[in-house]
Amino acid sequence: MLYDISLRMAYRYDFSADAGRHIARLLPADVPGRQRLVAGSLNIVPKPDEWINFVDFFGNACVEVGFDRPHSKIVYTMQSRVERRQAGDILDISPSLDRLADELFAWRDVAGSSPHHFLGASPRVPIEQATTDYARAFVADRPSVLELVKLVGLALHRDMRFDPKATTVSTPMLEAFENRHGVCQDFSHVMIACLRGLGIPAGYVSGFLRTIPPEGKERLEGADAMHAWVRAWCGTELGWIEFDPTNAMFAGEDHVVVAQGRDYFDVSPIKGTMRTSGPQSSTHAVDVVPVRETAKAS
Amino acid sequence: MAVKVEPARQDPIAQLLAGYRTSDTIPDELLGSDRAIRPVWRAYLEALAAMQPQELAERIARGDQYLRDAGVFYRQYGRDQAIERDWPLSHVPVLIDEREWTALEAGLVQRADLLELLVADLYGENRLVRDGHLPPAIVAGNQEWLRPLVGVVPRSGHFLHYLAFDLGRGPDGEWWVLGDRTQAPSGAGFALENRIATARVYSDLYGRANVHRLAGFFRTFRDTLQDLRENDDSPIGILTPGQHNDTYFEHAYIARYLGLMLLEGEDLTVRDGELMVRTIAGLKPVSVLWRRLDAAWADPLELNEGSRLGTPGLLGAVRAGNVTLVNALGSGVVEARAFLAFMPRICRALLGEPLKLANVATWWCGQSAERDYVKANAARMTIGKAFSTRLLFDLDDVSAIGGAFTREMRETVEAWIDHGAGQLVGQEAVTLSTTPALVDGRLAPRPMSLRVFLARTRDGWKVMPGGFARIGRTAASAALALQEGGTAADVWIVSDKPVPSDTMHAANDKAFARQQPGELPSRAADNLFWLGRYVERTENLVRVLRAYHVRLAESSTAETPLLKLCAAHLEGLGVTRADEMPSALGATITSAARSAGHVRDRFSSDGWMALADLAKTVRAMQDTVEPGDDMSRAMSILLRKLSGFSGLVHENMYHFAGWRFLTIGRSLERSLSMANLLAVLADEEAPDGSLDMAVEIGDSVMSHRRRYAVATNRATVVDLLALDSLNPRSVVYQFGEIAGHLDYLPGQDPHQPLTPLRRALLKLRTGLELQLPETLGTAELEALGADIAALSDAFSAKYMR
Repeated sequence: MLYDISLRMAYRYDFSADAGRHIARLLPADVPGRQRLVAGSLNIVPKPDEWINFVDFFGNACVEVGFDRPHSKIVYTMQSRVERRQAGDILDISPSLDRLADELFAWRDVAGSSPHHFLGASPRVPIEQATTDYARAFVADRPSVLELVKLVGLALHRDMRFDPKATTVSTPMLEAFENRHGVCQDFSHVMIACLRGLGIPAGYVSGFLRTIPPEGKERLEGADAMHAWVRAWCGTELGWIEFDPTNAMFAGEDHVVVAQGRDYFDVSPIKGTMRTSGPQSSTHAVDVVPVRETAKAS
Repeated sequence: MAVKVEPARQDPIAQLLAGYRTSDTIPDELLGSDRAIRPVWRAYLEALAAMQPQELAERIARGDQYLRDAGVFYRQYGRDQAIERDWPLSHVPVLIDEREWTALEAGLVQRADLLELLVADLYGENRLVRDGHLPPAIVAGNQEWLRPLVGVVPRSGHFLHYLAFDLGRGPDGEWWVLGDRTQAPSGAGFALENRIATARVYSDLYGRANVHRLAGFFRTFRDTLQDLRENDDSPIGILTPGQHNDTYFEHAYIARYLGLMLLEGEDLTVRDGELMVRTIAGLKPVSVLWRRLDAAWADPLELNEGSRLGTPGLLGAVRAGNVTLVNALGSGVVEARAFLAFMPRICRALLGEPLKLANVATWWCGQSAERDYVKANAARMTIGKAFSTRLLFDLDDVSAIGGAFTREMRETVEAWIDHGAGQLVGQEAVTLSTTPALVDGRLAPRPMSLRVFLARTRDGWKVMPGGFARIGRTAASAALALQEGGTAADVWIVSDKPVPSDTMHAANDKAFARQQPGELPSRAADNLFWLGRYVERTENLVRVLRAYHVRLAESSTAETPLLKLCAAHLEGLGVTRADEMPSALGATITSAARSAGHVRDRFSSDGWMALADLAKTVRAMQDTVEPGDDMSRAMSILLRKLSGFSGLVHENMYHFAGWRFLTIGRSLERSLSMANLLAVLADEEAPDGSLDMAVEIGDSVMSHRRRYAVATNRATVVDLLALDSLNPRSVVYQFGEIAGHLDYLPGQDPHQPLTPLRRALLKLRTGLELQLPETLGTAELEALGADIAALSDAFSAKYMR
């Protein structure tokens, strides 16, 4: 499927900032075999005094910008055309939990794609007894790792309430879990904590979800903003599998990847610091339009 | 079984050692296993034995006096607050034979080389993980392994430039490494202060005892830092977390000692990949930073987001290869205890040889065989967090010693180990050698660990000949940390032959260069400016209070019109109840001390102590002083102390740019106070006695009497206190002072139009000079006050952003 994806994020400061430095992870990624960035551009206003492109540890394309002069707002506009391929059915060749530990032990690598980074606590996802206990309930029947990922994801979808007003971008994982509510970020953090608690490497994916529901289907949650879901390492053979706990489904043609990391900390779309004393506000708009429909409309 | 030495009346050394009970199983630094005194201690013991108790006490007092005068302190963390404590010096140095030290050095240098290769591998190829020498979890699960720096090769070619090792002497008499310090090791400055103080105690002996000097080590390291700049002339910075850090004193001390620029993260910014320091003359490049800030806090953009101590973009500057950090960001990764379990294997893999210097035996519980071993042998181990960087006997929130928890837990030690797995390590319980300490005037053996320091120089690693010994408070090993009541001792490396005497200045063959005034960081300027303002604000408050209470004592009622007016004025100064010792006074002094605390490297310890004394005096007065006469006398005491402080600052401080900021702050505050005072007391409607009060508060009673042949009237008072350019208390005089200092500050160019700051000052000064007492009414004085406040803002905008 071919998509035109656009995003606009605007930050306004009540008192103008003397200077600022930000890192943006906004452009859809190239994922060999699954996703191709056909064209993409990022425009930032006011024009940054510095602009540095780099690739981070996890392979995400980053743009670092610096502002040396006073400014009271920054607007990021991203436009892209992305091809996302339909994933075939997943053949479950994942091991049992015990065998997964052996496979991990034999995996001698700490490059960005290595599952070892996704096992322990990370900046936004602590390993908590409560989430581990929750996940352990599904281990009894000795399911495969892939089945476990699905079981935990579906259970969270069932038990947690989607509520955009209940949490903020900085709500701790455990708080969202205890209250069983939140948005895609909270669903994903909770699921990551659950899986890691079982010893399954799990990470965070940020991206976009297609806006217009296919005929006869419900509109998916989180489509008006950037979306997030989970990836889990299901053994040497199967590798990384993406699951969207907010929508209770494996990530498919509708999910467009922007960045991946251990949790929100590694992939936040805009990260930054500025010299200002006052409060700030932001707005955020996303459009994901399948290209065929654009053609039809014109 | 303890052995007892028979006291022999004839032999003063034997007498000294009577009651010095060592253990049979633990080596002692002073006594060999045969209870014979080790030769290296002989001369010291003879000197000590020859001292009468009175003499020794006087000598110790001399050493302690030095530490107090130098302002050496450490910060002790209590339940609610941290307090500065006197430095706990153990007055008996630890003596080590030069030959033993030389052998130890070889092991230390090997370990330093090994750590460099190890860190390079962890941020480079990760061959050790690939080849199975190191479990991936040790790297991936390590908080100090900083992912944004993976693949970044340091500009200098090296990750490590300055290291420390914590050592202990094990039961077999051999030295063991207890911990590797690669992040930002502290203690070298304290070692230097311990040395100076200890040398004062044993002044005569120290000169002839063939003790290796420390200065050469620091000089070489400073030269190395200069070399790292790669042909530029930029200042070398020492990056500190700031005055709330427990070793801030050391950072300020080393900055002064080595002539480095003491910087906080906020002083720095990154422009086009270059690290710059904000100075009063604009942005200046810095290419070498000796980092005393833990890496996680160094860049809020890519590392710990909540850090207010760091510099956004620092990592970018590192990646661009424009700055050398000593040590490289991320070097702290190998401090984790878990690495100790793998060092013997890593040494063979990287150097192809065994470790020359063993470290304390350690088992990482992330591997099942090791985990089982730790469970089976928990009784003779200390078990704690695998990724903690503290020494294992500095206990964590939960540790297990000898198979028992240090606090109540709901599970068994075995279950805890199974649960914790890769998060835990077991280490062989350490017994440390003992060394003599003076306990109630007698020598007693106390456990000791040693911190030694290494610096990378042009000629390879150099070991500081000496170090920092931590001495336990009790005979048990666990209480070594200063936080737990331990003490610190100097370490003497003693030679048979005379040692070269060495000072910081010895090999300084370069022509001296005067430091340019532009190198004052803006934040330091800001703190000095506010220090000047706060001290002057305190003085003004004290003067107004004194004037109030003198009159209160005379009239015995606070209801006179003059006292009511004065109380209203005091209210504007933050004093809600004029009849008691106001908390506002304590608050301004606290603010002054806070500003001074930020610039301790630029501020004499005498000045610091004068300020501390002032604060103490105010606190003591708070509850005891009665209104009226008592209060006015208390204020006179404070005024004398304040002038003591001012004297130290204004008579003794070199007229660097920093001094000018301090002085400008004072002048600005003084002009503001005076304008506000006159607006109240020289008002046409003000009650009788107001003008005399203004003259008194303005400390100009004598001047008024001599200058005008009449009693005070509005014209004479306004003339003297606002318009007289020869009265150092007048407003116009302060403007002249400020203008004079501005000439010496950067940004003044006679070929360019006046800066906004200059223009504002000129306008204000000229406007005031054109006034006459009769045209300078209350409204004009109030407007003047507002203009002065605006001038302060213009000043900040020009130099302190």
